[in-house]
Amino acid sequence: MNRREFTAAMLAASAAIPLGITRAAGQPKGGTLNTIIQPEPPILVTAFNQQQPTLTLGGKIYESLLKYGADLKPLPGMAQSWEVSPDGLTYTFKLFPGITFHDGKPMTSEDVVFSCMKVLTETHPRARQNFARVASAEAPDPLTVVFKLKQPFAPFLGCFDCTSAPIVPKHIYEGTEFRKNPMNDKAIGTGPFKLKEWVRGSHVHLVRHDGYYRKDQPYLDEIIYRIIPDSASRALALENGTVQLVQWSDVEFFDVQRFKSQKNLAYTTKGYEYFAPHQWLEMNNRVAPMNDKRFRQAVMHLIDRDAMNKRVYFGNAKVATGPISSKTKFYDPKVKRYDFSVEKAITLLDEMGLKPGANGKRAEIKYLVPPYGEVYQRAGEFFRQSFSKAGIDLVLVGTDMAGWADKVGNWDYEMTQNLLYQLGDPALGVARTYISSNIKKGILFSNTQGYSNPEVDRLFEEAAVALDEAKRQELYSKVQQILVEEVPVAWTLELEYPIIYDKAFKEIVTTGIGSHETFGSVYKS
Amino acid sequence: MDAVKAFLRHPSGMAGFVLLIIVLIVAITAPVLFPVSPWEMSGTPFTPPGEDGMWLGGDTLGRDVAAGVAHGARVSLLIGIASALAAMTIGVMIGAISGYFGGKVDLVLMRVTELFQTVPAFILAILLVATFSPSLLTIILTIGAVSWPPLARLTRAEFLRLRGREFVEAALCQGESTARIVLGHILPNAISPILVVVSLTVATAILLESALSFMGLGDPNLMSWGFMIGAGRTVIRQAWWMSVFPGLAILVTVLAINLFGEGLSDVLNPRVSRRRA
Amino acid sequence: MTGTRSTARIGLLVAAWIVRLVAIILVIATFNFVLVRAAPGDPAMVMAGQSGAADPKILDDLRKEYGLDKPYLVQLGTHLARVLTLDLGYSYRQRRPVLDLILERLPATLLLTLTAFCLALLIGTTLGALAGLVAGSIADTVFTVLSLLLYATPVFWLGLMLVLVFSVTLGWLPPFGYETINAKHTAIERIFDIMKHMIMPVISLAAIYLAIYARLMRSSIIEVSHQDFIKTARAKGLARPRIVVSHMLRNALVPVVTVAGMQAGALVGGAVVIETVFAWPGLGRLTFEAVLQRDYPVLLGIFLILSVIVIALNLVTDLIYRLIDPRMTTEAA
Repeated sequence: MNRREFTAAMLAASAAIPLGITRAAGQPKGGTLNTIIQPEPPILVTAFNQQQPTLTLGGKIYESLLKYGADLKPLPGMAQSWEVSPDGLTYTFKLFPGITFHDGKPMTSEDVVFSCMKVLTETHPRARQNFARVASAEAPDPLTVVFKLKQPFAPFLGCFDCTSAPIVPKHIYEGTEFRKNPMNDKAIGTGPFKLKEWVRGSHVHLVRHDGYYRKDQPYLDEIIYRIIPDSASRALALENGTVQLVQWSDVEFFDVQRFKSQKNLAYTTKGYEYFAPHQWLEMNNRVAPMNDKRFRQAVMHLIDRDAMNKRVYFGNAKVATGPISSKTKFYDPKVKRYDFSVEKAITLLDEMGLKPGANGKRAEIKYLVPPYGEVYQRAGEFFRQSFSKAGIDLVLVGTDMAGWADKVGNWDYEMTQNLLYQLGDPALGVARTYISSNIKKGILFSNTQGYSNPEVDRLFEEAAVALDEAKRQELYSKVQQILVEEVPVAWTLELEYPIIYDKAFKEIVTTGIGSHETFGSVYKS
Repeated sequence: MDAVKAFLRHPSGMAGFVLLIIVLIVAITAPVLFPVSPWEMSGTPFTPPGEDGMWLGGDTLGRDVAAGVAHGARVSLLIGIASALAAMTIGVMIGAISGYFGGKVDLVLMRVTELFQTVPAFILAILLVATFSPSLLTIILTIGAVSWPPLARLTRAEFLRLRGREFVEAALCQGESTARIVLGHILPNAISPILVVVSLTVATAILLESALSFMGLGDPNLMSWGFMIGAGRTVIRQAWWMSVFPGLAILVTVLAINLFGEGLSDVLNPRVSRRRA
Repeated sequence: MTGTRSTARIGLLVAAWIVRLVAIILVIATFNFVLVRAAPGDPAMVMAGQSGAADPKILDDLRKEYGLDKPYLVQLGTHLARVLTLDLGYSYRQRRPVLDLILERLPATLLLTLTAFCLALLIGTTLGALAGLVAGSIADTVFTVLSLLLYATPVFWLGLMLVLVFSVTLGWLPPFGYETINAKHTAIERIFDIMKHMIMPVISLAAIYLAIYARLMRSSIIEVSHQDFIKTARAKGLARPRIVVSHMLRNALVPVVTVAGMQAGALVGGAVVIETVFAWPGLGRLTFEAVLQRDYPVLLGIFLILSVIVIALNLVTDLIYRLIDPRMTTEAA
């Protein structure tokens, strides 16, 4: 990516970006897309719940101001253009005319201000932190929204995807208790598809929103999300054509290979660039022996990450080199590399004085298995076998979701596995794991391992407010070098979830948000 | 001695006994037959049976299914026997107190027993294991905690039956302590039907454990049959052997215990075998 | 026995059962409450944590919203009062009233369990009776071996094997689900569609109970046929089929019905596993999901409802019991 170009695009007035509203004439209309949602989301309002299934489904119903391409550059969403003042403090968005909610009422800048400043700040933890940086949000006319920041925040334009800033109708939510509003069941948004029916435990039926503002869109008549909790059944459904699209972990990694060669299906790993799921072995830095840098480095040497990719993830991943994913901005590959070497690990362990005891064991460590399905279980088993080679006994502890969240959030664990999204910018998705101001007891997906380094804090803070891309790169490169040397967590893999779909469907993956996209431009040939 | 002779002449009981001995031998010799840990990823993932020296095939991570089945026998038998003993401890205690003292104590204890029978046992087991996090101990205690009511009822019935007998009356007249009467006189006379039901409880405990493991609520550090089937379920298209063989192992073991237990029952106490539920 | 007397007696019986039902509901409600609250894990954390970041204020709000900040006794009091008014609370995760969630899933589970139950009872007792009548024959031996095998088969494994044979290998039956979604079937087609989806789950669930009832029925028939009154009836020269129907069956069914009533809870439990294997959208799966997410209100609600169902089934079997065995008196309940 050319940094100067990017900066220019960000700072200059960008009144005419034609991307995203390109429409080839004569795309066939009609058709049904059958796909899968799993697990069943608790609610469809993405403002109140940000689990992957909610976002995949809700992404069709709720839209935000922007989208992001595979290169993570902003594209028009409901905002057709935007402008950033040279001091990086004022952001002005111009909305498309004629946007309506599914109940027929028009969507205006008032709804945007209300959603961002009133609703999301209360119900959406991530958005809450983003919009806390806003000094004022105004709606000078129905099609204009102006955000004024308290101080510059480089990735602010990255905060407006459908998962971070979904727009909800003010006329429905104003003055109500948001989470308990009975209209939540109706899921009124502005997206190209609206909710027709939700049969719990069975399927969610979406149909076209006739008042959609993008001409001719959506092309499809309906999308049916089937709830199939059993992964073997999901694979069968794709194979026999019951469903024509799978995303995220709908099919198990070992099944992906089989579908790659099925003739009527297309396979891609594109469409996850914005999320860049990054996985690591998390080690509580407060507890011996994980409080010793040498132990954590030994752990890096003990995990054969290529083998892990092959056996556990069946090649659907890429070895991670450090805290920032290679798909995210400011990634720097020039960091210390830890090759797979039991000898090096043993040397480090000996050096720190962690010698084998009478039973030949150096340490016994409890590993909390994340309750998110089989692959996590297999990964735990993989770690246990890997560590046993150096005399470290990993004891797997099973738990339910509440138990896992509680233990990790309250630092009551020794090791576990974790997976976080990078959200397009290190300031949004990476810093939260390492800065000491985010060591917050009781909060999941914070700096739960308790790593603290003033230098790292300073670098992340400077990089977040710096507006010059080159300066930011320099700061992030430095921070990556430090972190990889100190190994606060042992990064394992960048997961590459597949999107597999029937070739009859076109334009399934168009942006870096992939399966969370609106699907307004998807058509059946 | 007569009982042993009678059992030897009981064909299905003996069949069960022989099968059980085979399972026991496999369990005991597993570390010799398969010296490498069943968790070791020694082969290629999804090796079909018979290839690469893995006669029952390899699993998702390339682990030997045969090693898993052999080592799984240890786990299943251990959990089965330990939980049956746990159930026996609880059940016999409650049943004995209830049957011996009768009256209000009996009423209250039987209501509690009823309560435990009313809540679906498997759902209660899921809840208990999930709540207290799955480990060998919690699984054994949980299975014990949901399996004791039949034993309590049986013990109570036996105690009610025996309490009025002459030898108990005689002991009472001689002023023997309650504990002595219960442990020294009544229990020995009630023990044979209890043991029969305990042996059959081992079978249901193994089934219960396998179902829990299958649902992902087993001890993740133990290679158990239910765990193996659970791991094989999603890959049933690629590797049928991963779920077929451990399932057969459960079937054979449970069958063996049932045959053995029923043979015992026929020999020791025909009255119990029919009423068991 | 006169008609009015027996009606009055049954009325009294039902009244007694209702009193018992309420008492048991209260005890179970308390028991469940204590158990789930004693468990580790903070529901507010899971709800807030799922979004990728969480804020203490949001956690506090959630705790307030669901009364988690109040003392346990207050929570328990509120809970019991609610339960008695059939308010089973509000689900944290699903954001809907628990009763709605349960009622929505109940039909699928009832369809599955009742079909399996009736099938097991009907086929089991018939086969058992037949086997009992020809005790000692080759047919009886085959029957005994088969029922022993079924009795030793893990429910979920049987389900998997059926899928392996009939869906994966032969492709005859749908491997999962309740019906073909969006198939635009007519009413009749839909019924057949659902039946087709039901075959494997029902067989897997019914198998073990079929084996139990059959074995019970067999030994019961054998025992009854040796009893004096049957011998007397035979000596009196009554036709053989009449003996079988009026005396043997009736008497032999008594222990089977007793056990069937006691097994109701186990049957519902078995549905949890089967619904997981076959992706059957019923209460069993809701239970499992609720446990994984520690969805307290849903769990409490399910346990309560299932217990009520089991108690109701016990009442039904108790009534049948009286029907087939007129010698029974009320005190034996």
